[in-house]
Amino acid sequence: MHRTKSRLLAPSRRGFLGGAGGLIGATALSGSRAFAQGQFPERNLSVTIPTAEGGGADRDARVFASVWKDHIGVDLEYEYYPGAAGQVGYEFYLDKEPNAYNLLFANLGPEVIMMVTQDTGIEVGQDIVYIQQTSSEPMAIWVGAESPIQTLQELVDLSMTRPVTVSTSRLPHPGSIGVLSLAEATGGQFTLVPYGGGNPTAMAAITQEVDASVLPFANPIALADQARVLGVFAETNVAPAESGDAPTVNQALGTSIPNFDSSRAWGVHKAAYDQFPDRIAILKETMQATLEDPAYAEAVKAAGLPTAFIDAGDEAVAMATAASMKELATKYRDLLSGA
Amino acid sequence: MELDAAGLTTLLLHSLSMWWVIIPAVVVGIVMGAIPGFAAHNTIIMLLPLTLAFDVDVALTFMVALYCASHLGGGIPAILLNIPGTGGAAATTLDGYPMAQKGQAAKALALSFVASVMGGLVTSLVTLFLLQYLARVGFYVRSVEMVVIMLFGLALIAAIAAEDMLKGLIAGAFGLMLGAMGADHIYATPRGTFGMLELFDGVPLVPALVGLFAISEALVMLESRGGSAKVSAGVTPTWKETFHNIFSSFRHWWLTIWTGMVGLLIGVLPGAGASIAAFVAYQQAQTFSRHPEKFGTGCEEGVVAPESANNGVTTGTLVPLLAIGIPGGSTAAVMMIVLQYHGVPFGPRLFMTEPLLAYGIIMSMFVSYVLMLFTVFPMARYLSTITTVPSCYMAPVIIAFTLIGAFAPRTFLFDIGIAIAFGVIGYVARKTGYHVAAILIGVILGPLLEKSFLLSMRISGNDPTVLFSSNISKVLWVLLILTLTLPAIMSRIKRRRTESLT
Repeated sequence: MHRTKSRLLAPSRRGFLGGAGGLIGATALSGSRAFAQGQFPERNLSVTIPTAEGGGADRDARVFASVWKDHIGVDLEYEYYPGAAGQVGYEFYLDKEPNAYNLLFANLGPEVIMMVTQDTGIEVGQDIVYIQQTSSEPMAIWVGAESPIQTLQELVDLSMTRPVTVSTSRLPHPGSIGVLSLAEATGGQFTLVPYGGGNPTAMAAITQEVDASVLPFANPIALADQARVLGVFAETNVAPAESGDAPTVNQALGTSIPNFDSSRAWGVHKAAYDQFPDRIAILKETMQATLEDPAYAEAVKAAGLPTAFIDAGDEAVAMATAASMKELATKYRDLLSGA
Repeated sequence: MELDAAGLTTLLLHSLSMWWVIIPAVVVGIVMGAIPGFAAHNTIIMLLPLTLAFDVDVALTFMVALYCASHLGGGIPAILLNIPGTGGAAATTLDGYPMAQKGQAAKALALSFVASVMGGLVTSLVTLFLLQYLARVGFYVRSVEMVVIMLFGLALIAAIAAEDMLKGLIAGAFGLMLGAMGADHIYATPRGTFGMLELFDGVPLVPALVGLFAISEALVMLESRGGSAKVSAGVTPTWKETFHNIFSSFRHWWLTIWTGMVGLLIGVLPGAGASIAAFVAYQQAQTFSRHPEKFGTGCEEGVVAPESANNGVTTGTLVPLLAIGIPGGSTAAVMMIVLQYHGVPFGPRLFMTEPLLAYGIIMSMFVSYVLMLFTVFPMARYLSTITTVPSCYMAPVIIAFTLIGAFAPRTFLFDIGIAIAFGVIGYVARKTGYHVAAILIGVILGPLLEKSFLLSMRISGNDPTVLFSSNISKVLWVLLILTLTLPAIMSRIKRRRTESLT
């Protein structure tokens, strides 16, 4: 309150001019420094985000970039290509010049599943290489704060009497597979309702248009009092304090459902990976330095996310995550694609 | 923070102290809103690196002011050139442009500005005091109810088609068919995309909008020698006339208030937006008008209703973000990025931790509209002269600007091609008596209607009776039936009375 009020009296205008001037100056300086060194990167990097602006991927990319730009020495420019569960973004990304200046910020789970279920012809490892995993979060099944459902067991009990509706961002999503596994393990009736994005999906649960929602864990955590987490598709709940000490799905039901999570990762064209190994090395090195930088943990915390989700997996880890998602997608392909 | 006299004074002073950021934002917003394709959302995205460098309250004030002003700006080309700057201004063309053609452009602009500012002022005040209650609207109006609301908008096709019902319905159906292109909402199966990736997300609205309206209008313009005003006498008013135009616009105060509230309520709903609000407001204003037959011919209420509604939406889209923590539209989503970037919590926690910032966003909106009032007078006087610019100069300028506008939102060259294709469709439609607005309504509302319908079906297990399952949906269905049948019943009664008198 005082912080905001004090701005009322003096420094806002100065802040405005200073901010604008500083931004121009910083851009000029960072450009000239990179140019003077004559090494990669010599100009800003372009980031393709295959979802809409303002979503979780956008948030996470910007949080990472806020620290990474100090390590890589240039700024990042964002382009958003939502549509067809991420396919539009991937196709457009693949059409860009493979020069390691064009990067993809991926949501590994849903996007790898999409590649399988929608017969895109895009192959991880042949077209795209994920070079660095930045975070990983489990899927969570949750209800709105005003929902009469208090526990996961109550939701499952309800599913025995009538089909329970569960909002999901899209059908090709690890959360959707989590719910299908839950149905398989309990014999309950669950209907997935895809809302085409995290925000409308969450809204459907809060307003109780649907009985429950399944989304990456950060979503209900960010909603705080508006959401009640019933279960987490993980071995342990890594953010108990932020989720009202929610149980894991297996703890709540005594099942042995596998973990379902989604990881954010930076991807590059396979052609760029092969042609510019030096550039890829710089990208990896600076990304790793960013993940180890305490400022990154601070930035994650400031965005309202648990630092427990930071998961600095290297290329091998990121590619292994993608491979396991592909396996899951193949198993549930018919249910997720309406085939 | 209490919203008592002291609290309100603090808020007002705080927002007024931001005048130095509101004024440039208003100017940028009006200009960008007036250029088809740019609008608030794209402009805010473009300026995001700058706004992220500001303090969070300065950044939010800047974005809010720009957002409000862009909706006011969107009405300018809609009236003067039959080219809506934003989707929300498409309904304004229906009566705004006929007024301009009659040499009443200055009057139409005054009506549009006053409706926009008044609608914005009223809805921001209502939101300030009733935020938590407005947030509840989303709890009662869901996919099922949205289906009926979309049908209200589609009902406008029938109204537009009054002169030639068959052609109107064909145009509307053609628009709906185009709107059905793209990946389906459940399984993301591509339909009618001809393998073109650029169409996977459906027909892009802005290129369709500028093509149907702007390019086709420019082509029609090239066939005439003069300006777009068929009556040029009195096109540039004196100051006295300008003041008269502006103050006489206030006599539509009641229509402005209730259509603004329609916009506010629709704006609160996730997935809805200014386009649907403006169409519904226009359609309802016509239904409840004493002279519905004058709509579409240059009727003042036909300008007031959509302009007030689309400004009501600006306030409404912020409600879910502030009250729940979920953005109600794409512009609000960008605002959320700024809040997150600065580590400011949003949703109800924002009111607990940063009440001055939370309420300040709404008050900034109010102050932006107050400051916009000062821009209204010179704009209402001088902008109308655009209608006297000879077509041979105006048409190329329109085509150049609108093609840039078509390219800007997604930066696809493909979208320029879409704009040209829709321009040709629009030109042929105009020449053959098919209404381009009916096509556009189909393109805009078709996908929204389909999405709401499919969600309702999915939730209910494909039970169509779900569409009548809630009390609100039943009331909305009754209102829709009345809306569609009342005009015909009333005109029949009127005719019988006239016949019995003679």
